[in-house]
Amino acid sequence: MKVLLSWLREFVDIPVENRKLADDLTLVGLAVDTVESVGKDTLLDLDITTNRVDCMNVYGVAREVAVLYRLPLRPLEIAFAEAGPPSSEGLVVEIDAPDLCPRFCALVLDVRMGPSPAWVRDRLEAVGVRSINNVVDLTNYVMLEMGQPCHAFDLDRTTGRRLRARWAAEGEELRTLDGALRRLSARMGVVAGDEAPLALAGIMGGASSEVSDETRTVALEAAYWDPLSIRRTAKALGMHTEASHRFERGADPEGPLSATARIAHLLQKTGAGSTRPGRIDCHPAPQARRGARLRPSRSKTVLGVGVPLAEARRVLTGLGFTVGPDDGNGTPVGIPSWRGDVSREIDVIEEVGRHYGLDQIVSSLPGNAVIGGLKPWQAREREVRATLVGAGLAEVIQYAFVSEAESSTLPGVPVALENPISEEQGILRSSLVVPGLLSALRTNLRQGRRDVGLFEIGRVFAPADALPRETKRLGLVLSGNSRPAHWAEKARPSDFFDAKGIVEAVIRRLGVATPAWRSDGAPSHLHPGKSASGTRSGIDCGYVGIVHPDVARQFEIPEETVVAEIDLGTLLEDVPAATRVRALDRFPAVARDISVVVAGDHRAADLEATIRAEAGDLLRSAVVVDRYDRPPVPAGKVSLTLSLVFQHADRTLTGDEVQDAMARVIGALRSGGAEIRGE
Amino acid sequence: MSDSSDESKARARALREEFRSSLADSGDLASLQAVRDRFLGRKAGALTSLLKSLGGLGEDERREAGRELNALKSELEAALQDAESRLQAGARETRLEQERIDITLPARPTATGWRHPLTVVRERLEDIFVSMGYEIFDGPEVDDDYHCFEALNMPPDHPARDMQDTFYLKGRRDILLRTHTSTGQIRYMLANPHPPLVRIICPGKVFRRDDDITHSPMFQQVEGLVVGPGISLGDLKGTIEAFLHTLFGPQYPVRFRASYFPYTEPSVEADLGCIVCGGRGCRVCKGTGWVEILGSGMVDPAVFEAVNARIGRTVYDPEEVTGFAFGLGIERVAMILHGVDDIRLFYGNDLRFLEQFGG
Repeated sequence: MKVLLSWLREFVDIPVENRKLADDLTLVGLAVDTVESVGKDTLLDLDITTNRVDCMNVYGVAREVAVLYRLPLRPLEIAFAEAGPPSSEGLVVEIDAPDLCPRFCALVLDVRMGPSPAWVRDRLEAVGVRSINNVVDLTNYVMLEMGQPCHAFDLDRTTGRRLRARWAAEGEELRTLDGALRRLSARMGVVAGDEAPLALAGIMGGASSEVSDETRTVALEAAYWDPLSIRRTAKALGMHTEASHRFERGADPEGPLSATARIAHLLQKTGAGSTRPGRIDCHPAPQARRGARLRPSRSKTVLGVGVPLAEARRVLTGLGFTVGPDDGNGTPVGIPSWRGDVSREIDVIEEVGRHYGLDQIVSSLPGNAVIGGLKPWQAREREVRATLVGAGLAEVIQYAFVSEAESSTLPGVPVALENPISEEQGILRSSLVVPGLLSALRTNLRQGRRDVGLFEIGRVFAPADALPRETKRLGLVLSGNSRPAHWAEKARPSDFFDAKGIVEAVIRRLGVATPAWRSDGAPSHLHPGKSASGTRSGIDCGYVGIVHPDVARQFEIPEETVVAEIDLGTLLEDVPAATRVRALDRFPAVARDISVVVAGDHRAADLEATIRAEAGDLLRSAVVVDRYDRPPVPAGKVSLTLSLVFQHADRTLTGDEVQDAMARVIGALRSGGAEIRGE
Repeated sequence: MSDSSDESKARARALREEFRSSLADSGDLASLQAVRDRFLGRKAGALTSLLKSLGGLGEDERREAGRELNALKSELEAALQDAESRLQAGARETRLEQERIDITLPARPTATGWRHPLTVVRERLEDIFVSMGYEIFDGPEVDDDYHCFEALNMPPDHPARDMQDTFYLKGRRDILLRTHTSTGQIRYMLANPHPPLVRIICPGKVFRRDDDITHSPMFQQVEGLVVGPGISLGDLKGTIEAFLHTLFGPQYPVRFRASYFPYTEPSVEADLGCIVCGGRGCRVCKGTGWVEILGSGMVDPAVFEAVNARIGRTVYDPEEVTGFAFGLGIERVAMILHGVDDIRLFYGNDLRFLEQFGG
C-alpha cells in the first residue's frame, strides 16, 4: 500500500529521516518495501499483513507513527454544515439481510459535479488511483485516508429512491462499473433499489446508478459488510477491488459514521456540494465494545521480559485501546472497533511487545536439556547418499508431479491433481525413473553430455483410502561410460552389472542381506532380457535393468541406458543388530579354480548353487571370475570359471579333503550337463 | 731380510699398482668382475698364484710373505667390494632416473558424485538443530485440510489461505499437497499426547501453485517447534540467533520485526544482515542491508486448543505451556549462501549446475 508522507504529516509529526521512519515502521510490523521521492513529496510502499486492515489507510499508519515517536495523533476534521430537507425524506435504507450487512449508513448529498481540486487529484494519482470526478474521488480519498470504502449512487437513478441490502436472487444479473454483466447467486450480497440490484455489496458499484456529469443528488453508502460473504462473492466472481480487499479482511464497524462525516466535510471544503441533515444509520444489533484482560505475569511469560505497566498503558492507549486499573487479576483492556484482529489477551500482548520493541527482549535459550539426534533411519539415509555419491552419481531432486502421458508405461492408477500448473505436471509420480530420471538424463544429454550418472531419493505416490500411500525410494540412471575417458585405460560403457553393483553396495552398506534377483517380474519399461526384479525376505524391493528400446525411443535416450529403483522404507528401518565378530582364521585357505562349459542360457547362480550343495561345509566361497563365449567355446555355449575357496576353522585342510570335495563338485556339474575344461 | 723376501714384496707392490690401475679403468660391474677374476680368481688369479708360490720359501719367510699377501688380498677384496657398491648405487640411480614418469599427466579419476546443494544445506540445518537437542520429524507430503490449515488457525475462507495457493487432489477439496511443513507441528503434537516437552524440526518438500524466478511449485522448508513450560519470545530470539550465527557466521547481525502468521502470536520475522554487501545495501538486499530469512512466532493458543480438541483432553494447556515455531525455506538459505538467483536451477536436473557443489 502506498502512503504519501505529506498526507501522513497531516495527522502526525515525523521527527526522523525517511530512512529511519521506514526502518522503524518495518520493525513494528508495517514493512516498508520502498521509499521513493515524488516531486517534493515522498512515497512509502508498505507491505501490510492481511490481519492489519486498520493500517491499510493513511490514518492507521499515522496512529502507529504516533505511538512509535510518542507524539499526539491529530483528529480527522469531520465538521460540516447541513442544508436542505432531511436525508430520510429523499432516501429509504433497509437491511433485509443483517447477516450480510450489520450496518448501513447513508447520507443524501446535493452535488455540483466537476473535476476534483488539484490537491485531491494529485494525492490520488500519486498513490495510483485514477481521478474520475469530484464526488467519486472523495469516496476514494476517504477510503485511502481512513480505510472505509463508500459508494456514491446517483439518487435519481436508484429505483424507488431506496437502498436495500439483501441477498441476490439466484440468476439475477447486474452490470458492474467495469462493464461486465455479472450473473449472481443467492449467496452474493447486493445493494438493490426497489427491484433490481444496483451494486455488488462491498465489491463494486453498478452501471445503472453510476454518478455522472448529470448527477444532482447522491446517495452516499457507507456500510459494514460481513467479511466472509464479501470474500466468497469476490472469489466466486473472480473480482478483487480496493473495497473487497478491505471488507473481506474486516473493516471497522464504526467506520461508516466517521467516513460519511469526513466525506461531508470534504464535500463542503472542496465546494463540490452540500449535505442534507439527518444521517441514516441502520444498525439493527450494535455490538458492545470488545474487551480482554492483560495479566502482567502472562505477558512476561510470553515475551520473556516484564514490560512496565506504564509503558504497556502508553502503547495501548496510543493504539486506541482503553486500559483500566489493575484489579489484582490483570488489567481490563477495551479493544478499539477498528482492531478486528485483536480479541484475546495474547493479541494484546503482541501489541505491547511490538511497540515496546522486539530488540528490548533479551535473547535466551530454552531450558530443560533434551536429547535429540538423528533417528537410525535418518542416519541410514545419509549412508545411502554417501554410497551413491562415492559411486560417482550426482543427486537430483525432481518435482513430485509429472506428466501423465509420459508415465503411460507404468501400471496402476495415478494420483491426479485437481488444479495442476500444466498438463505436464498433472499427476503425482509413481516412479522416480519414469518419467523423472529418464527426462533428467535427456536434459543432460541435450547439453552435450555423454556420461551421466544420476540418483534421487524421494517419495512416490499410490492411491489409498484417505491420504495416498507415500513410499520412499531410491532411483538411479546410468548412461554412457562408467568413468570419464582417461589416457591410461579404455573407457567402458556402463551396463546392467554397474547398476546391480551400486544397488548391492548400498544395501551392503546398510548391513543387511542383498536381494535375491529374478530375471522375470521386472516392470514393462525395461528390456525383458536385461532386467531383474529383486526380493528381500520374499517381498519385492525393486528392479535393475536396461530400458526397453521403445522407452529409450520415447525419451530420446540411448538404448543401453541402465536404471534401477529400490524401495528404501524397510531398508532404512531394518536396523541390523550390532556385528558380533568371529575369530580370525588361523589356518590357511585352499583355492581351486574350475572352468565349466555349459549351455549359453545356463544361469551362473544355478552353477553356484550346485557347487555349494556338493562342496560341503568346507567351502568358504564360490565366485564366477571369468566368462567366455567365443571360439574355441562352441557356439551356443559359454565357459565360466569359478574360484572356490576351502577352509577349516580348526585345522589345516588335507589335500585329500579338498580333492574329494572337488570330485563331488565335478561329478555333479557333469551330471548336470556341464563339460569341465582343463580336467 | 732375504732376497726372496724382498722379491716377494716387490711383486706384491707391483701387483697392487697393477690392481689399482685396472680398478680405475673398470666402469661397470662386468669389467669389475674381470678385475676380480684376474687378481683373485681361484685358479688363475695373480694374487692367488703368488700365494701358491710361497710354498718354495723357508718357514719364516713364508709366514711373513703370507701375512703381507693376505693383507693385500683383504685390501683388494675391500676395494672391489667398495667399487661394486658404488657401481650398483650408480646403476640403481640410473634405473630410477629412467623410470621417471610425467606426473603432470591427468590423474586417474576416482568416482566422484555430488549431493544436491539443497541436501547439503538441509543436512547442515539438521545438524545444527540436532546439536541443540532437536529431533527430526517427518510427515506426509500429501496431507489434509485439517493438518495444513484448520488446526493451524486457518478455518475455511480465512484470508491467510490466499497467501498459499494450494494444489488439491482430483475431486478431493480436503486433500492437498502440503503448502508448508507446519503440518509437522500438528502431526507431532497429536502423535505425542503426553506431558509436553517438544523440540523438533520438520524438514520436507512443500508445494504452492507458483512458478517464476523466485518461486518454484515445489520447494523445501524446515519447520521448527519448541513447546514447554515457560518458553518465551526471548527463547525464540536466542534460538534463531544461535542457529543463524552457526550457519552464516557470528559477524552478521540478526534483527526481528513484527509480522503476521495465523498460527503464531506474536509473530516475528527474522532478517539477517546482508552477507553480500555486509549491510551497506546492494541488489540482493534491495538496498536495505537486510535479507529476510525466516518467519516465526509464539505458538498461537488456538493451535494448542485445536490439538487438545483432537486428542480429546487438555494435553497442551496454553495456561501451562507456551512454545515457539519457525519456518524457513531451504532454497532461500542456499540461494543466499551460494549466490543463486533463479530458484528453478535447483530443480532443473542440470549437471552443469549440480557439479559446482562439492559432495
